[in-house]
Parts: sequence; structure tokens; C-alpha cells
Amino acid sequence: MDRLIKFELGRLNIHLPKRRISLRAALSSPQPQILTKDGGVHALKREELEFLSKILSESDWDKLQLPIFISLEPKLGKGAARIMGDVETKVVGQILKKEKIGSELIIYRPEVAVLRRKLPTTTQYFFVW
Amino acid sequence: MAMALTVAPTRMELIKLRQRIALAQKGHDLLKDKMDALIMELFDALRRIQDSRAKALEQLSKAYSALSECMAVLGTLETMQAAREAKKDVQLNISTRNIMGIQVPLVEFRDIERNALARGYSLHTTSSLLDNAAREFERALKLLVGLAELEAVAFALARELEKTKRRVNALEYILIPRLKETLKFIMMRLDEIERENFTRLKRIKAIIEERR
Amino acid sequence: MSFKVAAIGDRDTVAGFALAGVAYTYIHSKKEETLAKLNGFLNSREIGLILLTHRVAEELGFELRQMIQKKKLLPMMLRIPDKTGYAPKTDELRDLIRRTVGAEIIVKREGE
Repeated sequence: MDRLIKFELGRLNIHLPKRRISLRAALSSPQPQILTKDGGVHALKREELEFLSKILSESDWDKLQLPIFISLEPKLGKGAARIMGDVETKVVGQILKKEKIGSELIIYRPEVAVLRRKLPTTTQYFFVW
Repeated sequence: MAMALTVAPTRMELIKLRQRIALAQKGHDLLKDKMDALIMELFDALRRIQDSRAKALEQLSKAYSALSECMAVLGTLETMQAAREAKKDVQLNISTRNIMGIQVPLVEFRDIERNALARGYSLHTTSSLLDNAAREFERALKLLVGLAELEAVAFALARELEKTKRRVNALEYILIPRLKETLKFIMMRLDEIERENFTRLKRIKAIIEERR
Repeated sequence: MSFKVAAIGDRDTVAGFALAGVAYTYIHSKKEETLAKLNGFLNSREIGLILLTHRVAEELGFELRQMIQKKKLLPMMLRIPDKTGYAPKTDELRDLIRRTVGAEIIVKREGE
């Protein structure tokens, strides 16, 4: 029975990328995409990449790793999520008009909804346990 | 009603059991988070579908009207002939994207709307009515492609939600209560054993006292 | 990857989409033959979307529902009204949502 739970928990994050890709690399690729751990392909929408390139200074294009992870951690409370990373929090902070604390940003359910609507392929859920 | 598991009532088992409950609880909370996220994504998809469906169906209706006008004026045979001659080169660029572990199609449009020359039906039957019908159908096609993508996403999300919901319920209503029942049982037994030992010790002490 | 489109329906529907450049078209007449054609389309690696009219879908009945159940991610399939505008009362998507979320979702339009 435990094995089942551990298996399920292991499966929760199997959709995550084997390796992330920088914004610059994505912009210059004719077919921007990442390979997922379970052998699939996740395409990044050009529309979103262009939007990101406009709200970030060029010097940050190498630093922004895509997709941006939206960390769901039950200990944060219901519906809350965490964004980590200097440039990542800068971007999300700008979109949600929120101040970040250091290189971390906690966002709440309605904000997660806004973020996902704006960046459906350049953000991904990440389960932490 | 939860049935207790058959487990030896030892302190070791108690510790292991507490760990299992913690793990199950954690799994439950995470899957609930996943469920909530799925519901949010689904809501968003449905909202977009409603909008997309209305626009696509309206455009399709326009297209059918344009077509019947064309058939009425030009004749059915001519129209069918043009349909046969038209260049059938519409292409869609489809890749996949991932939402929490489910693969859904991602469509990037190649140009669906073409100009009269590109359409390919022979010049002598070219009429503005024909072009109009073709154009309206091209527009309809574009909107329908968008709708199809949204529906595919919604169906995939709903199916995953169903699966996740079942797992959350299994944990919440079957597994965790069962584990807790077992925990209660073990604690009760350990208590009993303690008391038995205590009474036994007392009796032994009493016997020793008497012997003195 | 590049994909083509397919359309199955009555003569007018098919003509319209052919004019729009749809590569694979089929005018429905007999259930068995249409099912076979649809099966071919579903298994074709070239086709990314199949358009099917509600009327034909209804006629194909149970076998169609089975095919949809077993369907892979691609090709996508969409049912559309024909020129008469006919659409069935049951909405599969709504039913599925009702089953999973357990309630009717009435989504408000933007701005309400």
C-alpha cells in the first residue's frame, strides 16, 4: 500500500523537463520545446516567448530558465504557491504587480490563475513533498 | 467503516504506522492540490470554449449561407466542380504540450486564409460568390481548429480530474481511516499489555513479600 | 509536425470545406462505409483534425462512441452542425464535467 502512495507521489512530477531552456535559446529555436522526464515533448508558444522578451531586459534572456516552476507545497496553505529564482520572480512579480522578497515569491490561487492564463506553456506546476 | 489491519501490537509497529499515516496524509494533501489546480485549468478552458464555440458556429453559419448563395446563382454543378479543383493544401502545425502530466495538442496556425489565385479553381468559373464562399469557409475552419484544440484540452483535463478525485477519495475515506483504526487498536493493546505487566509485577511483589 | 484536415458530412458541408482547402473529404451515405472511412482517417498519421457533422455522428451511433473512447491524442475530432444547423441536445463535454466536478458549471461571460 505504501508502495502505491510512493509510486503516485513519484509520478506527480514526472511531467517535468529533463532540462530547462533559457529564454534566449528558446527565442532562437525554430521549434522551441523541452523534453519531459516521461519521454514526451512540451512545446513553448512563441507568443509567450515574445511577451517575455519584451518585459525583460536582454541581459536577463540568458538567465531566465523555462518553463518557470510554480511550486505547489501543501505546507504553504491551501492554494498558495511559490516561485523561486531571481529572474523568475522578477518576471512573475511584474506580471502580477507584486513585490518579491529576495529571490522568492509566494502567490495565491487567483494569482496562479492569472499567471497560468498569461503563460500556459512557459509555466509548469511542480509538486513539493 | 474502516477495518483494522492485522499487525502485531508492538512499539516498533506503532512507529512504522505513524510514519505510514504521515505519508498517506502527505500524499492526500498533494493530490488535493493537484485536483484544485486541475479544476482551475478546467474552468479556464471551459470559459474559453464557450466563447470560441459561439464565434465558430456563427462563422460557420455565415459560411453555409455564402455557399448556398453561390450554389443558387452559379449552380450546384459548377460549385461542386470548383470544390473538386480547389487546392487542398491546408496544413496545421501541431505539437504537444504538457499540463501536470497530461499531454494535450498545441496548434500553431499555418496560414489558412488564402487569396483567390492560391485557391486554385479554374479561372473561367471564378466568381466573387465562389471566392466569398471559400473565404467564409476558410475563416470558419480557422475558428473550428481553435475550438477543437480547446475541447481536446478540456476532455483531457476532465479525465485526469476524475482519476485524481478517485485517488483522493480512496486515501481520505478508505486508507487513512483504516490506518488510524489500526493505530488505535495497537495503542489500546499496548496499553493493555502494560497494565497486565503492571498487575503481574504487583502480584509477584506481593508473593515475594509474603515469602519473607 | 505538419498535419492535414479531414471532413465528413453531407455534400454541401464537404463542398464548403473542400473550397477552404481541406485535403480529405468524404460524403456520407451508408453507415458501414462511413465508419470504415472514419477509421482510416483516425489511423492516418497525416491527419490532425477530423470534422464530422452531428447528423452523421448520430447515425454512426455506438460504434462512433467506441472509436472516440479508444482514440489517441491525434487526430483531434470535432463535431459540427451542417447547413441545417442541427446539433443534439446532449453535450458530451458538459456531461463529463458534471460527472467529475459533481455540479453544473455555469461559466459567466467576461465582464458579467
